[in-house]
Order: sequence, then structure tokens, then C-alpha cells
Amino acid sequence: MMIGTASVVSGCGASFPVPTQKLADAESASRAARELGADKKTAAQLNLKLADDEIAAAKVAMKDGDNRRAEYTLLRAKADAELALALAREQDAKVETNKAVDTSNAKQNANANANGSK
Amino acid sequence: MNLLRISTGLLLTTLLGTAACSSTLPPNELVTARSNFARAQAGPAAQLAPSDLDSAKKSLDQAEASFKDEGDTPEVKDMAYAAARNAEIAEARARTMQANQLKDQTNASTRANEVNQAQVTSAELAKTKGQLASSNQALATEKERREDAERRAAQAAADLAKFATVKQDPIRGMVITLSGGVLFESAKWALLSTAQTKLNDVADALTKQDKDSAIVVEGYTDSQGKDQMNQELSQKRAESVRTYLVSRGIASDRITAQGFGPGKPIADNTSPEGRANNRRVEIVVKPKN
Repeated sequence: MMIGTASVVSGCGASFPVPTQKLADAESASRAARELGADKKTAAQLNLKLADDEIAAAKVAMKDGDNRRAEYTLLRAKADAELALALAREQDAKVETNKAVDTSNAKQNANANANGSK
Repeated sequence: MNLLRISTGLLLTTLLGTAACSSTLPPNELVTARSNFARAQAGPAAQLAPSDLDSAKKSLDQAEASFKDEGDTPEVKDMAYAAARNAEIAEARARTMQANQLKDQTNASTRANEVNQAQVTSAELAKTKGQLASSNQALATEKERREDAERRAAQAAADLAKFATVKQDPIRGMVITLSGGVLFESAKWALLSTAQTKLNDVADALTKQDKDSAIVVEGYTDSQGKDQMNQELSQKRAESVRTYLVSRGIASDRITAQGFGPGKPIADNTSPEGRANNRRVEIVVKPKN
């Protein structure tokens, strides 16, 4: 029976190496998102928070020797951090686009007024 | 017997283990990942972020494969969670590209409008300059015309001053006064031959005047004799002068003749000198209004 139990454990999860690179990748993505202001942007805040929490959880798992759990938690963390980065960029792009549209409208109105007053 | 128990236990454990790893119901994370990917695939990401969409597809495929092999495990949930996020990343990047494209188009449109407006302004400026130049040209032409007219008038006055009295009357215009004694015999209206020579000079001077000015030949007599006769004599003398001037090139439609008889004397009719001065022909050149 003990052999059988060992077999089940072996089938769903073997021992994992320390996911150092995955941790670095997730932290790097989180940093990049924060540098772009994701922590202050409404659209990106939640995902960055999730990424940070997942990185913290992964570190705890690594400390506990559960590298497998750490690796998969870091998979989530990296995805959340990258999504935060993408959402932060999207928000920046939309702000810039709105500025361009406002500028265009203002200039068109100014031209219309100038031409209309002639 | 022990071997049988161990074998049975192994078989049971293996079956239980397989059942644990291959649940037929997908976890919520995988359902969400499938949904997210389908939405991303149907949206602008397919065109604008195909590489990101491909990455999302690969991560979803891995989650699906793991689910197929292992069932609903925490790792499958993690992989599916990441796949769902990857699909969202593809969508976010596509929306970012759309925003950037709109920004670029708007900026290009703004620049085009600015160029167009500059061209309109430039064209209007050129038009205004043209109008100004045209106005200046018209002013210069008018000034030149006036100066030319003034030069002609001055020259005519100088020429006439040699044999006639020339005065500039502010109301009537230039008045050329010729003594009746040098133009006609007493009580006659036919021009003397010597008078014709003088009138030739008058005609030459008048042709130098502004072509638009009107000319009136006015005949006057002294007060001796009957008024009726003097009126007729002054009229005929004025017409004689007019006819001669027309023959010398003055346009007939700009010159008229009128007799005033003894009217409007310029000297005392009681003395011979005064009467001589009153017997006269005045040629009035009226300036153009």
C-alpha cells in the first residue's frame, strides 16, 4: 500500500529544481510593469498586485522546498506581470491618442473660426 | 497470498491515481482560458498581434494537453490561468496598436490640415498682395494721369500766355481771354487772317489739355449799340471761334459756343479802353469733375 501511494505521488508531481530563472523572469516583468507606472494605473494595478503576491507565495514555497508549486505559481506571476505591463502600455497609448484627437479638434475649430471670420 | 494483496493494492491505487489525474470536467481556469482565447482570436489581435496570439495558443494547448493527461490538477489550473492571461495580453497589445494607429492617423491628419491651412493662408496672402499691388498700380496710374494733365495744363497756359490773358478761375476753370479787336473787324464775326494764326496756337494749346475737359467759347461785346444785335454778334463770334477750333482738331463734342452780348463786362464801358477790353472772346476750359 505504501508503494502504491508513492506511485501516485510520483505520477502527479516529482521533485523539481529551484525555479531561479522563472523567479527572475517574473520579477523582471513585475519591475518593468512598475517602471511603466502600472502600480498607479487603474487598468493595470490589480494584475501587478496579483503578480507581486504570487511572487511572494512562490518564494515561500521555495523556502519550504516545494519547488514544483513555486514554479507553477511563478507561471501565474509572470503572466499577471506581463498583462499588467501590456495594460499599462495600452492606457498610455489611449491617453496619447486622446491628446492627439483633442489637439486635432482644437486646431480644426481654430481654423474653422479663422476661415469663418474672413 | 501476500503477493496477491500487494498486486491488488497496486492496481487499485493506480486506478485511483488515474481517476485523480484525469477528471472529465475542466477547471474554471481552463474554461476561462478557452473563452479568452476564442475572444482574442475573433478580435483585432488576429491581425494586429498574431505573435502574441500564437503564444497564447501554445500556452492554452499545453494546458489542454496537461488536462488531458493529468486531469484537474493545481498545475493544470496554473497553466490555464497563465494561458487566459496570455490571451488577454494579446488583446491588450492589439488595442494598444489600434490606439497608436489612431494616434498616428490623427497626427497625420492634423499635419495635413496644418499644411492645407498654411496653403490657404498663403493663397489669401498672395491674393491680398495682388489686390494691393493692383490698387497701388491703379493709384500710380491715376497719379500719373493727373500729373500728366497738370503738366499739359501748365504747358498750355504757358503757350497761351504769349498772346492771350490766361487766368485760373477756381470755379470756371482756366479762362483764356482774347481781345475781340485782334479776332474780328468791327461789327463782323468772320475771323481775321491774323486771328487764325493766334487761334492755331490756341488750338495747339487746347489739344495739350486733358482730353476729358470741356471747352466753352464765350462771346462778349461792349455796351454800345442795341442789345439784341450785340447778343447775336457775340453768339456768332463765339461760334466762329468754335468752328475754327474744331477745324484745328478739337473734338466737336467737347466744345460749345455761347454769346453773352454786353453782359458780364470786365471793364468800364464809358471809356474807349474799357470798351475795348469788354469786346472779347473767352475760352473756358472746364476741368474734369
